[in-house]
Amino acid sequence: MALVELVDVAVSFPLYGLGAHSLKRRLAAAATGGRIGTHTGVTVIEALRNISLKLRDGDRLGIVGHNGSGKSTLLRTLAGVYPPDKGSYSRQGALSSFIDPTLGIEVDATGYENMYILGLLRGLRTHTIRASMRQIAEFSGLGDYLEMPVRTYSTGMIMRLAFSIATSSQPEILLMDEWLAVGDAEFQQRAEARLQEVLANTGILVLASHSAELVNRECTSIVELSHGEIARWILPSRASSPT
Amino acid sequence: MQSHNDPSATTASPTEPTRDSPTRDEVAQVRQPVSPCSPLLRSFLYASHDWYGGTRNIALWWTLAQYDVVLRYRSSMLGPLWITISMAAMLMGMGPLYSVLFNIPRADFFPHLTLGIIFWTFISATLTDSCSVFINAARYLKQGDFSATVFAWRTLARNTLYLAHHIILFIPVSLWYGTSFSWNVLYVLPGLFVVFLNLHLLTLGLGILCARFRDIPQMVTSGMQLMMFVTPVFWVPQPSLIDEPALFLNPFTHLLDIVREPLLGRAPSTASYRYLAYATFVNAIVSTALFGLKRYRLNYWI
Repeated sequence: MALVELVDVAVSFPLYGLGAHSLKRRLAAAATGGRIGTHTGVTVIEALRNISLKLRDGDRLGIVGHNGSGKSTLLRTLAGVYPPDKGSYSRQGALSSFIDPTLGIEVDATGYENMYILGLLRGLRTHTIRASMRQIAEFSGLGDYLEMPVRTYSTGMIMRLAFSIATSSQPEILLMDEWLAVGDAEFQQRAEARLQEVLANTGILVLASHSAELVNRECTSIVELSHGEIARWILPSRASSPT
Repeated sequence: MQSHNDPSATTASPTEPTRDSPTRDEVAQVRQPVSPCSPLLRSFLYASHDWYGGTRNIALWWTLAQYDVVLRYRSSMLGPLWITISMAAMLMGMGPLYSVLFNIPRADFFPHLTLGIIFWTFISATLTDSCSVFINAARYLKQGDFSATVFAWRTLARNTLYLAHHIILFIPVSLWYGTSFSWNVLYVLPGLFVVFLNLHLLTLGLGILCARFRDIPQMVTSGMQLMMFVTPVFWVPQPSLIDEPALFLNPFTHLLDIVREPLLGRAPSTASYRYLAYATFVNAIVSTALFGLKRYRLNYWI
C-alpha cells in the first residue's frame, strides 16, 4: 500500500545573500547593533504554495509547467527531501527516485563495483544486490566492460549501467524527472519494455515533464504548476478505489 | 484492485484539495511526524530518525568509505600502501632532525612524534572533512530521503581507514626503540572511544554549521593549522609547561594524551580525563542541539 499525501504544503527557500551566509557579518551585525551588517536580510523564494495532493496505489501523476514553476521542487517534496515549512507531508511505501539514476557512480570503480555501490545507495541489501548482479549484467549488455573502470565507458554505457541497476528493484513509489531514454535503438527498446514492466508494478508514479504527449500517454492525472501553485488540473485525478 | 472508471469511488477531487483524510485508518505517518506537534519536537524526531537510520546502514557508509580510500589509489602501483609510505617518509624526515633540535634522545622522541603525527592527522583531517560533509553530500540529499548521518559516518570511517594504515608504522618504531610494554596500553581503548565519540559529534555539529555558514570551513582549516603548533604534536611538553593555558585549555592536548600515552606505556593523566569529560558533555549538547534542530532545515541550505 503506497501513499503520499501533501496537505496545504508550502516550501520556500531562504536565499542567503552575501550577508546572512557569513557568520562574520552576522557577528558584526550583532556587535555593532546592526550598523555594519545591515544586509543580513534574507530573501525568501517561495517555491511551492498551497499544494494539496493525495496519491494512492494506482495513481500516475504527471506534473507539467514552465521552467521554474516548481516541478522539480514538487517532485523532491514528494520524495521527502524538503520537509515543508507549512502543511504536512506523509508517505508510506518504498520510494525510488529516477530523477538522477547515475547518482553515486564512481568512475574509477568497475561496473560490478558500481552495481554494489549504487545498489546500496538505493537502499538494497548486500545479498539482494549479489543475487541480482548477474541479471543486471545481462540486461545492461555491457559484457566484459563490467570488469573495467566506468571511466572507460561512454556516456550511453554509463546510462545503461545506471538504468539496469535502477530498474533491478521494484519500488512502490517512483519519481521521474522526464522519461528515461537510454542507449542505442536496440537497448532503448528493451529499456522501454523494462521500464513499463517496473511501472506496471509500481504503486504510484510521479512524472515531471515538459512533454504533454508523454504525460498524456503515461499518466492518469495531470497537474499544471505555475509560480509554485497548482494552476489547474489538466486531467483530473482519477480516484483509485480504497483498498 | 483498481476501478479505473468508477467515478463513485472518488476519494479525492482534484479541484478541491484533499482535506477529507483524518478518517482514513491506513494513513500511517512515515518519516515525518505529524505536523501539529511542536516544531521543536518535530525537528528532533526528524533528526533522530535520520541518525538512527543512517547509523544502522553500516553496509552503506562502510562501503562508501572503503571505496573512498581504495579508488584514490587504484591506478597507482602500490595502492593504499602509499598512505603508509608517505607517513613513513614524513616521520623519517622529521624524527632525526627534531630530536636534535629539541635535544631529546631519539628513543624517547621518535615514538612520541610518530603517535603524535598519526593521531593528529586523524583528528584534524576528520574535522576538516566534517566541514564539507553535508555540502558534498548535497546531490544525494536532494535526490531522495537520504540519511545525512550516513555521510558523517562515512567521513569518520574513511579517516579511520587512513589511521589504520598509519598506525602500522608504530609497530616497527616501538620495536626498534624498545618501547617498554605495560598494561597501561589498555587505556588506549577508552581513549579511542572518547576520541571517536567527540569526532562523530563534531562531524554532525560542524557539518550542519558549515552548511549554513560557509566561512566556517575556512575558520576550521586555519584554526587547525594553528592548533597543530600549539598542541604537543611534534614537541614534548615540559613539566614546567603544565599550567600554560594554551596547553591545558587546549582540547587537542588532552585528546592526544589519552591515546598516545597508553601506547607509550604510560597512564594518561587524570586531568586529561576530567577535562574531556566536561568537553565531551558540552560537545554532546551543542552538536546534538545543532543537528537535532537543524537537520530539518539542512536540505534547504545545500
